[in-house]
Amino acid sequence: MNTETTAPTAPEKKEFWRWQENVWFDETKDWKTAKIVTCGIDVGSVSSQAVLVVDGELYGFNSMRTGNNSPDSATNALAGIMDKCGMKQEDIHFVVGTGYGRVNVPFADKAITEIACHARGANYMGGNGVRTILDMGGQDCKAIHCDEKGKVTNFLMNDKCAAGTGRGMEVISDLMQIPIAELGPRSFDIDSDVEAVSSVCVVFAKSEALGLLKAGYTKNKVIAAYCQAMAERVVSLLERIGVEEGFFITGGIAKNPGVVKRIEKLLGIKAMETKVDSQIAGALGAALFGYTLASKKAAAAAAA
Amino acid sequence: MADGLFDQFQNWYEKRHDYARDWKARTGGQVVATMCTYTAEELLIAAGMLPVRVLGAHEPQNVTEPHIFGMFCPFCRDSLAQGLLERFDYAEGVTLTQSCIQYRQTFSSWRSNVPTVQWDYFVPMPNEVQSPHARKAHYAEIQAFRVFLQALTGKELTDEMLREALAVVDENRRLLRELFEYRKEANPKVTGCEALYASITAQFVDKREHNEMLKKVLAALPTRQLNRPEGVRFMTIGSENDDLAFMAMVESVGSTIVIDDQCSGTRYFWNQSKPEDDVIKAIADRYCDRPACPTKDYPVHTRYDHVLGLAKEFNARAAIFLQQKFCDPHEGDYPDLKKHLEDNGIPTLFLEFDITNPIGPFRIRIEAFLETMSDEELF
Repeated sequence: MNTETTAPTAPEKKEFWRWQENVWFDETKDWKTAKIVTCGIDVGSVSSQAVLVVDGELYGFNSMRTGNNSPDSATNALAGIMDKCGMKQEDIHFVVGTGYGRVNVPFADKAITEIACHARGANYMGGNGVRTILDMGGQDCKAIHCDEKGKVTNFLMNDKCAAGTGRGMEVISDLMQIPIAELGPRSFDIDSDVEAVSSVCVVFAKSEALGLLKAGYTKNKVIAAYCQAMAERVVSLLERIGVEEGFFITGGIAKNPGVVKRIEKLLGIKAMETKVDSQIAGALGAALFGYTLASKKAAAAAAA
Repeated sequence: MADGLFDQFQNWYEKRHDYARDWKARTGGQVVATMCTYTAEELLIAAGMLPVRVLGAHEPQNVTEPHIFGMFCPFCRDSLAQGLLERFDYAEGVTLTQSCIQYRQTFSSWRSNVPTVQWDYFVPMPNEVQSPHARKAHYAEIQAFRVFLQALTGKELTDEMLREALAVVDENRRLLRELFEYRKEANPKVTGCEALYASITAQFVDKREHNEMLKKVLAALPTRQLNRPEGVRFMTIGSENDDLAFMAMVESVGSTIVIDDQCSGTRYFWNQSKPEDDVIKAIADRYCDRPACPTKDYPVHTRYDHVLGLAKEFNARAAIFLQQKFCDPHEGDYPDLKKHLEDNGIPTLFLEFDITNPIGPFRIRIEAFLETMSDEELF
């Protein structure tokens, strides 16, 4: 018998962890009339951002997932926003690289750590009253103190694992099969408060979450338990450095109200609000540093 | 550096087990694994032995768990691993002079479970060296160690032999200090990595050979030009540190390590013995007088002013605490020592060390710390 067979098709794998990539630029402004255009590139472990600053003001950004190599991630992030607003690389006067891949941004004029850049970015986004910054990044977490200019005065980073970070939240999202943007709101859709999972280690929390599901927890309760654990972990980091008024959260997790509101409750302080995407703080700070450096360079050239 | 001035020290460090085996083959002497820099090496040297300090290998290991708690410090665990993995199979003896209780467990497990150990000796040095009874007690313990070694070797350790050994060790201390003096200068002629290679190798190379090498280096230093930017001048503080990859990273991002308070560095050699008619007293007192490890620094905390003094003397702009995870004595000192330094204008950074260290994340911390001190006008 001559029958035609078709290979079984694998079920479509849905990527629940995949967060929204964003491109935006300010259509009310014309970068072509600007004196100085600078760019900050933040190549993080999970996401990469390119931010354009025009005469010291935020003009546009592109936020996307980091690829498998830093130079390509930096190039792609910048290309994404330049294509949108019709800019070419030679139109940019100064580029600052930051994040884990900062030394691998091939077209950067300078590399500055993400700690300094997040503080500077938060200062722009939240104003000069920002004093304590919590950067909840893809694979680490930083508590930063800064002065009224956004200069770092002290900082602490988490330990050597991805516990309590964006990557951990991505894992839970996939495990629960719930889109990552829904985790925060759903963590409040529960009958009563739940205890934190005892571990925020990505691996152990996954096992514990499965155990809770088997024990009859709803998905929302499991998510709430994980958000609570994450909040408790970062609060312990913040308390080691001390929290001052003017509290600001940057990084992808700042978009998750399930974690943010729990942090605020534990600290008894409300985080400052911003209309700017919290995930671009590092690249924004880098672009602003670029603006200062380019301005000084131009002033020195004019004086010579 | 390109001039290769410190290559011999680096080579000794990287091939330290080969060195010890070779020393044994050419001298016929015994090698003794020593634990803790409070060990009176003078007695071992006088007995014709080579003291070789046990260091870790900074590699993941899975052999210590049955013998020592996981919450004992990485140096304890790594040191024990080296014994259990028979990396010191050339050492007949092992000796510990009392310092911390965690390292005591390393010693106990080592002497019970490392099959190549033929003899062991524990010197119960007083921890409260400030007590009026400490010197007398330590004198007696050093004398007992001498008696033990005489019985072991079947040979008398005469005062003359001890004086000769003490002179060699004191010369090594003097030469190392002379080398470290060059680090006081602006744009030092010696990097932190090079200084560490020199001081750590003194802990396992024959002192006579080490002294000759130090003399050669010291003769060449006056005309040496490193042609590297000095950057921020750092001090390092902690227990043992021979993580050269970490040191090299720190010095590659805009800084120079100009001084330390660590037992792999200054605490090992900073003071010489004082002249005494009684050589045992000269040896014993020297260890009571040396810059204190936190285990031996009470009730008065002499370390705080000593560390601050070093920072000022060597013009360190800032200090990095290299805290071995779970090292209780150093962690206990940390809050007050940090405050003491910061109150006196020396900012600090805390890094927690493990058997292996994450160089990438540490680099971010070091660079961010440097940025907080940068004069560059980013604002």
